[in-house]
Amino acid sequence: MPHSTVTEPAAKTESSSTVEPSRKTKALNSFQIAQAQFDKVAEYLNLDSATRDLLRYPLREFQFAIPVHMDDGTIKIFRGFRVQHNDARGPGKGGIRFHPQETIDTVRALSMWMTWKCSVVDIPLGGAKGGVICDPHNLSAREQEQICRGWVRQVAMNVGPITDVPAPDIMTNAQHMIWMLDEFERIHGGRLPGFITGKPVGLGGSLGRTEATGYGLVFTLREALRELGMKAEDTRASVQGFGNVARYAIELYLRLGGKVIAVSCWDQEDQCSYTYRNTNGIKLEELLSVTDRFGGINRAKAAALGYEVLPGNAWIEQDVEILIPAAIENQITGENVGLISKAVKIIVEGANGPTTPEADEKIRERNIWLIPDFLANAGGVTCSYFEQVQSNMNYFWEKDEVLSKLDVKMTAAYYAVSELAKREKMYMRDAAYAIAISRVAKACHDRGWV
Amino acid sequence: MSCAKTIAADLPAFDRRFWDGTFRFTRIGSGALGGKASGLAFIKDFLAERFDAEAFPNVEVNVPVMAVIATDCFDEFLELNHLRERITPETSDTQIGMVFQQANLPVELLGDLRALIQQVTTPLAIRSSSLLEDALGRPFAGVYATKMIPNNQPEADVRFRRLVEAIKFVYASTFFREARDYLCTTGSSPDSEKMAVIIQEVVGQRHKDRFYPQLSGVARSLNFYPTGEARPEDGVVTLALGLGKTIVDGGVAWTYSPSHPKAPPPFGSVDELLGGTQTDFWAVNMGKPPAYDPVNEVEYMVQADLAAAENDETLELLASTYDPERDRVIASLGVRGPRLLNFAPLLVREELPLNAVIENLLRVAEEAAAARVEMEFAITFDRNHDQSLRMRVGFLQVRPMVVSDEQVEVTIEDLMRPDALVASNKTIGNGIAEVEDVVFVRPERFSVTDTQVIARELERINNTLREEGRPYLLIGFGRWGSSHPSLGIPVDWSQISGAKAIVEATLPQINVELSQGSHFFHNLSSFRTSYFMVRHGGQFGINWQWLNEQPLLAETDFVRHVRTAKPLMIKVDGRTMRGIVVLSDNTQGSK
Repeated sequence: MPHSTVTEPAAKTESSSTVEPSRKTKALNSFQIAQAQFDKVAEYLNLDSATRDLLRYPLREFQFAIPVHMDDGTIKIFRGFRVQHNDARGPGKGGIRFHPQETIDTVRALSMWMTWKCSVVDIPLGGAKGGVICDPHNLSAREQEQICRGWVRQVAMNVGPITDVPAPDIMTNAQHMIWMLDEFERIHGGRLPGFITGKPVGLGGSLGRTEATGYGLVFTLREALRELGMKAEDTRASVQGFGNVARYAIELYLRLGGKVIAVSCWDQEDQCSYTYRNTNGIKLEELLSVTDRFGGINRAKAAALGYEVLPGNAWIEQDVEILIPAAIENQITGENVGLISKAVKIIVEGANGPTTPEADEKIRERNIWLIPDFLANAGGVTCSYFEQVQSNMNYFWEKDEVLSKLDVKMTAAYYAVSELAKREKMYMRDAAYAIAISRVAKACHDRGWV
Repeated sequence: MSCAKTIAADLPAFDRRFWDGTFRFTRIGSGALGGKASGLAFIKDFLAERFDAEAFPNVEVNVPVMAVIATDCFDEFLELNHLRERITPETSDTQIGMVFQQANLPVELLGDLRALIQQVTTPLAIRSSSLLEDALGRPFAGVYATKMIPNNQPEADVRFRRLVEAIKFVYASTFFREARDYLCTTGSSPDSEKMAVIIQEVVGQRHKDRFYPQLSGVARSLNFYPTGEARPEDGVVTLALGLGKTIVDGGVAWTYSPSHPKAPPPFGSVDELLGGTQTDFWAVNMGKPPAYDPVNEVEYMVQADLAAAENDETLELLASTYDPERDRVIASLGVRGPRLLNFAPLLVREELPLNAVIENLLRVAEEAAAARVEMEFAITFDRNHDQSLRMRVGFLQVRPMVVSDEQVEVTIEDLMRPDALVASNKTIGNGIAEVEDVVFVRPERFSVTDTQVIARELERINNTLREEGRPYLLIGFGRWGSSHPSLGIPVDWSQISGAKAIVEATLPQINVELSQGSHFFHNLSSFRTSYFMVRHGGQFGINWQWLNEQPLLAETDFVRHVRTAKPLMIKVDGRTMRGIVVLSDNTQGSK
């Protein structure tokens, strides 16, 4: 498949291997941060230079144009990407993002993180990521469908059930996946539901997928509590975000006996976030009943229910044992890390990259038990893997079966990381990276690539 | 057992290792353990401490490895799937079973179940452990389901599904009709019941496509039917080949007094002996998968006969042989002839100290419960390196017996009274009760081929009387609750649950060994229901003529329901096991 080598608007990437994983990360883009993290662990693992060179960059990148006949009769060219960072352990796996600020470096970084995420939970998949520079808010459904189908036409020979399996991501959903699947099947002939995940249940989707990330997060939290000798019923949590991950995490944590006293949530109308607090413990159903269809909590109604409405950042300074950042990246920073209460014993990262390197350093110094993002939120990709397995077999499991396997996978992954962290006296994030990277490096070695 | 009441928090959490975990007895969840599990949790330490292991060098006694799913998981399962709202009094057991199968187990316990099933490939018993059983101090024997699963499928996915189905089935059985009726009779609401589930290794060995213990048994420390020299306080033991279902279902098994283990039950002849001993047994089906039926309790169970057991080489210590030429029974399999399951190699030849072990266990259990007890066990035999025999006893259940302590006296003269409607010197129970209704199977119409129809007719009348709140006297023929319709009326407890006294009688056309209340023993003792055994042509009997003269309320093909003008008094003397039913006025002064 011919592909364009569009360089605009994708930013150029620093290719130096001497990037120091320093605190000067503000000047670095996502890919540089990802590389810096890798370099640090590669050093710890004493990887040879060929392996480092191989893993610092994606194996393959596709950048291409997607011409779309717009509803107004014009033709617009959209820029699309697919980056396959590494597939030594199995077919690539990663979402497709629709975002106006998408860059190739973001996609590169995300594809690398996908490699580590799949590896840390020990599922036989590699890392990939894709995207299109576009804003779905300004596109009709027909136009979005054209983008989806155009994206697939450009990479149809380089993706698929045994090579690279896409999934929904920012601003893409099950409908986009179905359009993409349909185009892929039209090109290849036959029905190939294993090409893509995130499909609706009944059309190749897996039961339990909706809950998987939030539940997976709590499975790791449950084991951390057990290891630290804490009982869920004796703990309180503060959660940033009220999306899918946060809701299911809250639901299961409450069922384990914990108490969530604060939830922060974006307010579309006011264009800022608020923290809703009830020191006696929030009631999930109650908050959901005053939540709009975009996931925002109605401030006035929440206040009427007795919730204190605090500034958006207040979630981080609550006197709780557990913090769960489950919104977006870069939320625990050098500026606000000092606000974290002394009571906090565990941070579980539900979002991708919610902690900046500066904040990470402080958390490490304070000996807070951190469950890093690519372990804590790996329930989603693990369930996507289950979906792909089921789709390939065209035989679908009961929800009990899906969630039980998820629990076992997540628990095993957690203990692999925590045991290494304890044994080597490492920070949890470093231990997770060490395990993930060493597994991928070994696969590359075993295949004779390096 | 109330003294053994414990809560799940006292037990270690399941650490996802079933066989080689730090603890053999663990919990999943944080609620209560229910009666059965609490009893076992309590007794296991007591056993370790008090069982005289030194006296029995070739005997190993333990509670089989188990993990208990506590009642909070049951609550959550019902709540998450809105199951209470979906059950109405009209919902059938099958519908309830199917609705429960379609529901999702709480995610909190799934990972533990998955981890468990990944390392276990031998049969598992999924057993109910009811909260009310513990709270009310009432035994709920046979009310809720137990499901055996072979768990030998190579794929963990399949084993997991079967385990999940079995758990949901046990949960569903909480709401089955029999259970709901039972709860009503205890005055409890079905909403107050909570169910814990025991996942336990099945004691036994695999023999081709069957897995079973060589011997199952129930022992009670109080015997309401002592024979010969035995006294009530000597207790009674019932033994069967294979899984204990034979005994629980009231099937044919070997019953003896532990104080006189060599004395056979009172059979009149060798023919009776051959006909009155166990000829088939239950095992877990390890072979070809049966038709898929997750709401069937015996989905993975199979019945086989003695020839199969002999082929499996499991009869050696259990059976004797009838030598027709010499017309005698030989306690060995060394000669040709019909095999007879009388456990003589163990009880008579004492190749292993089975009876002494049972007596010891009964004493330990009584001490633990501070009450008369009933216990269930399963035993396998194998050989040590030096070829000496070894016995492994799995302790499966212990529960206190509810025994009335009311002082009632029924003399032999009372039994001879001409106005006695029913008189018997073989009764169960103790105390006095009054009824005005009598439901009886018409002796002139009774036939063993119609026992299933009779069961349904009795159920209808029982339901009516229960709704009206009228206890009644029930009279029927053959073994009550037998699973073999040819041996008696195959009712379950819910079909006769309103009876205040039950008479088990014989007729020339059904002259079988009576059940002696064994099938419903715990229901009887729990609900203070009296039980009379009356053999036709015996010294004491039933006044049919008087019964037939009473005002008729309902009559079906096989059953008659009459109501007496004056109340009937049922008197049972637990010490002498004598009992009579007489018109209330006529009993004055006889107490």
